[in-house]
Amino acid sequence: MAEAAQITTEATAARAWPKVVRRILAFVAGAIFVYAGVIKVFDPLRFASDITNYQILPWAVAVRLAFFLPWLELWCGLALIFYRLFRGAVVLMVAMMLVFIGASIIAKLRGIDVSCGCFGSASSNLSFTSHLVLDFSLLAVLLIFWFWRSPAIR
Amino acid sequence: MKTLVAYVIAGLVGALAGSAQAGLTWESTDADLHPTLSDTTAVAHFKYTNTGDKPIKIMTVHPSCGCTTAALAKDTVAPKESGEITATFKIGDRSGVQKKTIAVVTDDQPDKPTMLHLTATIPQLLKIAPSFVYWSATDKLDPKTITVDVGGDFPVTKLEVTSTDKSISTTVEPVADKKEFKVILKPTESGRPINAALKIQPDFPKDQPKTFYANVRIDSRAKMPQ
Amino acid sequence: MSLGRQLFFLLGLAFLPAIGQAIYFRNATTQEPPMDSALVSVAQAEGWGEKALWVDARPDEQFAAGHVSGALQLNEDRWDELLHPMLGAWSPEKKVVVYCSRLTCHASHEVAERLRKEAGLTNVYVLDGGWEEWQKQHK
Repeated sequence: MAEAAQITTEATAARAWPKVVRRILAFVAGAIFVYAGVIKVFDPLRFASDITNYQILPWAVAVRLAFFLPWLELWCGLALIFYRLFRGAVVLMVAMMLVFIGASIIAKLRGIDVSCGCFGSASSNLSFTSHLVLDFSLLAVLLIFWFWRSPAIR
Repeated sequence: MKTLVAYVIAGLVGALAGSAQAGLTWESTDADLHPTLSDTTAVAHFKYTNTGDKPIKIMTVHPSCGCTTAALAKDTVAPKESGEITATFKIGDRSGVQKKTIAVVTDDQPDKPTMLHLTATIPQLLKIAPSFVYWSATDKLDPKTITVDVGGDFPVTKLEVTSTDKSISTTVEPVADKKEFKVILKPTESGRPINAALKIQPDFPKDQPKTFYANVRIDSRAKMPQ
Repeated sequence: MSLGRQLFFLLGLAFLPAIGQAIYFRNATTQEPPMDSALVSVAQAEGWGEKALWVDARPDEQFAAGHVSGALQLNEDRWDELLHPMLGAWSPEKKVVVYCSRLTCHASHEVAERLRKEAGLTNVYVLDGGWEEWQKQHK
């Protein structure tokens, strides 16, 4: 709470605009992660079978990952929305995005037809290209947060 | 920096909006089928309506596996017109939960197939474990047991087990308090290779009897226990 | 809070409900088919020579149109009928190589899994790249 107060008092008129943009971006990126997390939290087995579709991980690993990843997406998303544990969440989200992007590209190169599974059943409407665009946009936002940080944010 | 941010926002909004404006609206892209014991196929109907203002051509309907076929009544859908894709899942000797997908490609979004999901839960009358019993060259010909579990609430009270080779004697023992049977196999002869099929016939369903199989092999070098 | 502690906190926060789900779905973790069922390349499988027992998991009409020479048919459409001759050709030193068509098709994994789970065979492999890959290397 003390941190929040500090941010408000330190925000000068000159810095107000980027701060608003940051909060909006953080909210949007966070909301996407929360959505992606919530939709999978309720059906981990389906997510696990989506993971095995990529033919990279065996079932035993995929299913354990499927119990863990959606929650991680959910908490990181909430962290961005509420602006708490911000740096930790950004680091974890960048790592997740790199893994997701890597996995989709490997699968595509190996000729595997995958509905990415990132958004549960809603993934079906996302093509490979728009899925990549979304992934890279999210990654870009996260990197902006990492490199363009205000000293007040911890 | 501001331009970069603007691009990113535009990218995000574009990607999200792109996924929302599909020309064909599906009543549901998931079908949950529960065929009965006597069914040989499970059929799913995926209903769609063209909610756009242009005719849409369905270019391909591609099921994920050989056991699923998909039929399409009409390939061009006029605005406001509805239709359906019928997916037929061939049950064969499958059991348990089977998941199949069908990719539908339309000319308005050729790079964005709609994935239809079909889940069929096929009832299993008997579960035979193991379905293969083998005595190797170094094995003693001691009796081996096959466990037969009755699935669901099926009222199976008796099993009829016959071997295609006379030299394997079979005994069926119901397991008390459990919907389960033990089939005990005892070789009565040694010195020749044996390759037999076991026919397992439950007393349900009476009108459409179904036969289950297990397989038995004995290496000719396997010895009778002393 | 330091970055390390933030990471620790977030990972832990996700780990707790994950454990709960792992307990709730404990049957699925072992029962569901592991889809990786020991992949083997065409070259590797052919290197096994006589020891390899080739099993074609595709539907009847595709088998009729062409198959690996000497392959036996075993698909889930006619499992009961086809399993007996396949097991008749099997012996403990054989390595079973199951193949189907296209990477996305799971028929070979499903057949391999049933051979392992129901018939209790070990040494069951799935051909990487399937029928298409075999054809590519036999032009």
